[in-house]
Amino acid sequence: MKKKVLMLVGLMALLLGSVNAQRTLEIYITGLTEDTMTWFREVAFPAFEAEHPDVIVDILTGGWGDFDAAVAGWITTGSGPDIVYLGSEYAATFGDLLSDLDPYLADWDELGSFLPAALDVAKYDGHMVGLPLLMSPRPMFFRTDISANAEAIPPLTFADALAFVAANSAVEDNAMTKMGFMDIGGGLFDAQEFIGYIWSAGGELYHADGSSAFDSAATAEALQFMYDRRRAVQPTELTAGLPPISGYPLASGLVASGIFPMWNMPPTTDPLWNDIAIGPYPAGVNGAPLVQVFTDWLSVPAYVQDKELAAAFLKFIGSRDNAIALSNVAGFTPVRTDAWEELRANPVWDAMLDAAVDYGRAFSDIRASAELRPLIVEQVSMFLSDQQSLADTQMFLKEEYDAILEDNGYL
Amino acid sequence: MDASVVARIHNFYWSLGTVAFIVLGSYLVGRIAQAVAGARGVGVLQRRRVFWGYALASPWLLGFVIFVAGPAVLSLYYSFTDYRLGRSLEWIGLDNYRVLLGGIGAQGRRFMQAMYNSGYYAIVGVPLQIATALGMALLVARPLRGMSFFRLVFYVPVILAGGPAILLAWRYMLASNGGFVNVTLKRFAEALPPFDWLYRSFIFAVEAFNAFFIGVTRADPVGPLMYVLPAMLGLGLCVLMLVAADAKARRQVARTAVEVLGAVLLVLLLVRAVVGGSFVPHLHERLRTFVELVTLRTSLLEPGSGDYLRDGFAQHAASPLWLLALIVALCALIGYGRPGTQLRRWLLGGSALLFGFLTVGSFLDGVRYFQAFDAVAAATGTPQHHFALFRQVSAQFPDANRVPLWLSSELWSKPSLVLITMWSSGAGMLIFLAALKGVPRSMYEAASVDGATSWQRFTLITLPMISPAMFYNVVIGLIAALQTFESVYIIQNTQTEQSLASAAYFLFVRTFRQLEIGQGAAASWILAVLIVLLTVAQFRYSRWVHYE
Repeated sequence: MKKKVLMLVGLMALLLGSVNAQRTLEIYITGLTEDTMTWFREVAFPAFEAEHPDVIVDILTGGWGDFDAAVAGWITTGSGPDIVYLGSEYAATFGDLLSDLDPYLADWDELGSFLPAALDVAKYDGHMVGLPLLMSPRPMFFRTDISANAEAIPPLTFADALAFVAANSAVEDNAMTKMGFMDIGGGLFDAQEFIGYIWSAGGELYHADGSSAFDSAATAEALQFMYDRRRAVQPTELTAGLPPISGYPLASGLVASGIFPMWNMPPTTDPLWNDIAIGPYPAGVNGAPLVQVFTDWLSVPAYVQDKELAAAFLKFIGSRDNAIALSNVAGFTPVRTDAWEELRANPVWDAMLDAAVDYGRAFSDIRASAELRPLIVEQVSMFLSDQQSLADTQMFLKEEYDAILEDNGYL
Repeated sequence: MDASVVARIHNFYWSLGTVAFIVLGSYLVGRIAQAVAGARGVGVLQRRRVFWGYALASPWLLGFVIFVAGPAVLSLYYSFTDYRLGRSLEWIGLDNYRVLLGGIGAQGRRFMQAMYNSGYYAIVGVPLQIATALGMALLVARPLRGMSFFRLVFYVPVILAGGPAILLAWRYMLASNGGFVNVTLKRFAEALPPFDWLYRSFIFAVEAFNAFFIGVTRADPVGPLMYVLPAMLGLGLCVLMLVAADAKARRQVARTAVEVLGAVLLVLLLVRAVVGGSFVPHLHERLRTFVELVTLRTSLLEPGSGDYLRDGFAQHAASPLWLLALIVALCALIGYGRPGTQLRRWLLGGSALLFGFLTVGSFLDGVRYFQAFDAVAAATGTPQHHFALFRQVSAQFPDANRVPLWLSSELWSKPSLVLITMWSSGAGMLIFLAALKGVPRSMYEAASVDGATSWQRFTLITLPMISPAMFYNVVIGLIAALQTFESVYIIQNTQTEQSLASAAYFLFVRTFRQLEIGQGAAASWILAVLIVLLTVAQFRYSRWVHYE
């Protein structure tokens, strides 16, 4: 009996030894298509494993909905994937909890090919805490064929944008029949868009001393523009919205312009693109038009032991060839400018890249973003629905964001 | 080696380790129990039984300690700390509770709003859900052909209701423009004028109620209206005690009121003590405001003399808590004291008059309070944001082209969620159905012989006989309503997130999105204590439940 037990223990030790001889690299990817996941599994990972025979790469997937809870769990237990896919504004939220990758990436000679604005997104406290992977310029799209004043496309000022939206919105029997503008969430207000308008009105989110700049004239101008635009589309809060739209909103014929991610737009080969124009966000009196550029990036959590291996994977996946291949399968723009040549052959992407180059501003340095978003949603919604004055809205935004910044150690 | 094989081997090791831990842990627990039994002088045979008893129960005991009790104790500790993931924690005592219960700052305000929303789901949603469940149970309890099919149809939503696909389908059905529900309602309204009137009345009632609710939850001051509910409560109790059949019944009403209202008052005072706040300043002004309301001076005798627009009206008026304390004191005197018959009549009659005048005075003054803001807005030509939605929707009866805005407006988001909850009342229906089957037919036959109408049979036989099922559904429904999360998470959008957010949703956001473990833990304990208190209260006052 004892012999049998000893043999079993020996066998298990042998098995454990063979398992531990292999290093495993786990990568958490959020919100990409199944085709992209397949590309990772069948193309990228085998290639990396061929370069590192003792490494096994595995993928964990999830949606943005599970993301916060999943990351919180890993950080609490100090155990989780070696590489985590993050969105544009997460450096400020998770910066403390990520590895400083300067020792592994700072001297990488290919870093110069990356768009500087994209690299900024993956920096925290002056250090690189990840590597940008994909980029998504978020311009405004216009249907030239169904717009009443197509010659005014793209409107470049708040005043012109209001005139365009008013001319292309219609309400019948207390229900919308056409929207001159639709935001990314299918409504008339989005927190990220609000920040975009503050910037395009010539304002910033922070004063020089780091306190919130929601008390600025630019914020007031952005708020007033969003309110006036809302009333141009929806005369009262009791007006019913558009009928449900199945498919792409801009292809429905019920929406004249809007802000949409590329996955909510027709494929770039669709003939409808002949009637779609691309333009930047309109500007306020003292500002300039802009296009918000969102960048998804890969980070290495602080709990990871083998940071060198994780950094090696980041360099591998960030190579020019992989950037092009990934962009083709994922439908996003590469973050390396030397990977743009092929993309520019497509007129839609060519126009998108032009807009990003001419008007692009990275959606980065959003401090305490997880708490800022609900604050913006709460306060701006109250202003837009006539429940709060503009002055009170600015005051609450300023006071409460300053309190959040202080609580989070920014002030 | 393939990654999946490695994962399987790791899983195998983990499983092996877990089993070893459980076996070892159970053995140790058994041994400890045996040692304790031995120290108490228990015999050998009994000690062996103790060992096996505890050892075999230990897997569950260990699981409970590790996965339930342990994390619960830890979260209680975290609730007294400022702990954000990734940073060191700092002991801050009651600060988290002070912020949340006092509605201080953005987080406190959002938590209070979330608690109000949860209260809405409990007070409005649970009765509607129970009524629906009971209605469905009565329908399918009939011995008709094909009834098992309908039982299935009514129960299927319980399985489907929380699913994202079904909630997405509800999004389409509840689309304000072109959605199935609104199209159907509108067709009926166009074809049947009486239905149109009902339909628009429904829109008016729902919007006015929810707009007022939104104003209250956003801490818009309500002026003298804050006295209406406690004054009506006082009046109602006085009337109940005056018309009570005998002294025993009167004392019963009074004592129950003292227990319930006293507990509520105690909790509110405790909260106030944690939050901090003074009762004393402006005592003279507070008394004056109270006297003006009771004497109907500002509402009827000298209408318009009330200075409703003065800064911080609420600060210069007596807290409704004083009124609650007065009611508790009165009920205590009647319930536990021995006042003479004459004194008792004077006390109850005088109090009824006082509360009656206060109800009328505070309601009329409350209306004038709102009119004063409207007058200022009209005179200055500036928008008035005080209860803006309520004044907007109550300004006129809905036009013929108005439709419910369901999931796209904060006026309709909570009713939409309640509607979806009602749709999935099948679980309650099943409980009621089982209870209905248990009611003896002989009772109905005897009642019929005695000439009882169907309504009398329902209220005097069916309801008492199924009261245990009703009690179960109320307790479970209330707990579920206070813990509402998934449906909020799925159906909310930018426009409706705040108006839908429940207490459970708040603590999810605070803990997992904003990584503020300390405040999230405090929110969860407040919710847990509230649920326990309400459940205990339901059991305490379950005399209406009839057990055979």
